Amino acid sequence: MVNKRAAKLVAIGVIVAGTLVAESRREYHFAVGPRAGVSVMNPYGSILVRPSTSNTVVVNAVLHSDKVEVDNNQNGNRVDIQSHLLAGADAESGRVDYEVLIPADASVSLHSNTGSLRAEKLHGDVSLEGPGADVDVRDVSDAHVHVKTMNGAVNLDNIQNGHVEVDSLSGEVTLKGVNGPLVQVVSTSGRINYIGDFGNSGEYRLTSHSGDIEATIPEWTSADVSARSVRGEVHDDIPLQPKNHSWFAIDKGRAFAGTVGRVAASSTVVLRTFSGKIHLRKRSEKQ
Amino acid sequence: MNCVELQQSLAEVEDGNSLEQRAHLRSCPACSALLRELRLIAAAAAELQSANEPSPRVWQSIQFALREEGLIRPQRNARPTLPSFSARWGSMRWLVPAAAMLLLALGIYVRRASLPTPLTQQAKVLVPVANASDLNDDDLLQEVAADAPAMRTQYEENLRQVNESIRDAQGVVDESPNDPDARRSLMDAYQQKSMLFEMAMDRSLQ
Repeated sequence: MVNKRAAKLVAIGVIVAGTLVAESRREYHFAVGPRAGVSVMNPYGSILVRPSTSNTVVVNAVLHSDKVEVDNNQNGNRVDIQSHLLAGADAESGRVDYEVLIPADASVSLHSNTGSLRAEKLHGDVSLEGPGADVDVRDVSDAHVHVKTMNGAVNLDNIQNGHVEVDSLSGEVTLKGVNGPLVQVVSTSGRINYIGDFGNSGEYRLTSHSGDIEATIPEWTSADVSARSVRGEVHDDIPLQPKNHSWFAIDKGRAFAGTVGRVAASSTVVLRTFSGKIHLRKRSEKQ
Repeated sequence: MNCVELQQSLAEVEDGNSLEQRAHLRSCPACSALLRELRLIAAAAAELQSANEPSPRVWQSIQFALREEGLIRPQRNARPTLPSFSARWGSMRWLVPAAAMLLLALGIYVRRASLPTPLTQQAKVLVPVANASDLNDDDLLQEVAADAPAMRTQYEENLRQVNESIRDAQGVVDESPNDPDARRSLMDAYQQKSMLFEMAMDRSLQ
């Protein structure tokens, strides 16, 4: 019995030691000018992007085996990083986890099939794409934020004055404190949550074919809102001033349209679903 | 023969060569233009099917131009980047032009649907678009299964949902051809499907 346990411990030790030996770290530094461009292509693994304190791009990569390499290239003000899978690499052995520090005004493009994609505290354009990647973007201002996923969850938090476009097939999309001239989410079956004030006199368009849409807004919101579900239900907790005319028929229970707050300087909000539910809620003080 | 009869005859019988068809086409610029578009699409589709492999010079020219622009650099393991696209995708390499054709057909449809034409004429133009929602789905799933078996179920489920959304959106457009929301939903649904193909293709190229 004791021998069996000892053998198990030895085996576990060998596996852990082997893993540690196979795992390796790389660090790369690139001097760049204002408004640089950074691209990271990573088939398997996570990518985290944060602001650096200087005009330098710093790439920290953790490689999970020797079946993957990191290719890097700088061309003027542009830096390209790519995980290069070698023969026999799979989702585990080909995994690389990146932490990338970039000047806050740099634009960044991230791609991963499986790992999480995170970007924070930037004011350059952000583009994130990955079929199964969970996406988290926060504290970004004055920038384009474009996200494409298949079934990964998308969380955008505190995006100010953004040009935001999210395309997701089935992942849940949550926008919290997101505003700008254009905020658009298109989903096939994913649920869409918006928590914020529809600010900035922007156009907000949230569309899901079969997913539910819930928008939670404070009392001081100023917006023209129209909501419509072809087969589902709509609920409205906030009194709307009805519009004189709407180009589509207001079928009670399936659609509503009207103005919240002041008409002047308001945003346009369009909520559309085919078979999902739409719920416009008033934000409580606790939220 | 009026416009509706001509379009019915195009679908069922001939391609504009009968006496009746020719007589109508001579006097109807709209139907002539429609026939030209259909012939253009048919010719392009035939070329896609008959072409077995683009000339290596095409790939080399593209590669050279990209390298000159500094957009790509030589691979360390000397694996050619662009030829691997056709090699790995085999018959699937025409997904991109096929998707482009799909969007082209959709664009023609949306443009026509926005014109104040009789509903019967619009319905005729919808037919190829509805069928196109099944374009290459099986091939796509086979390719994903070969390349990333663990992801096949997810792609399959998403493909099913997006095809359903195309059918639903198409149904609403059929019911309300002048509803801009419905047309936008249909366009969104096709774009979602295009995105799914794009993601599968990106994955296969890695």
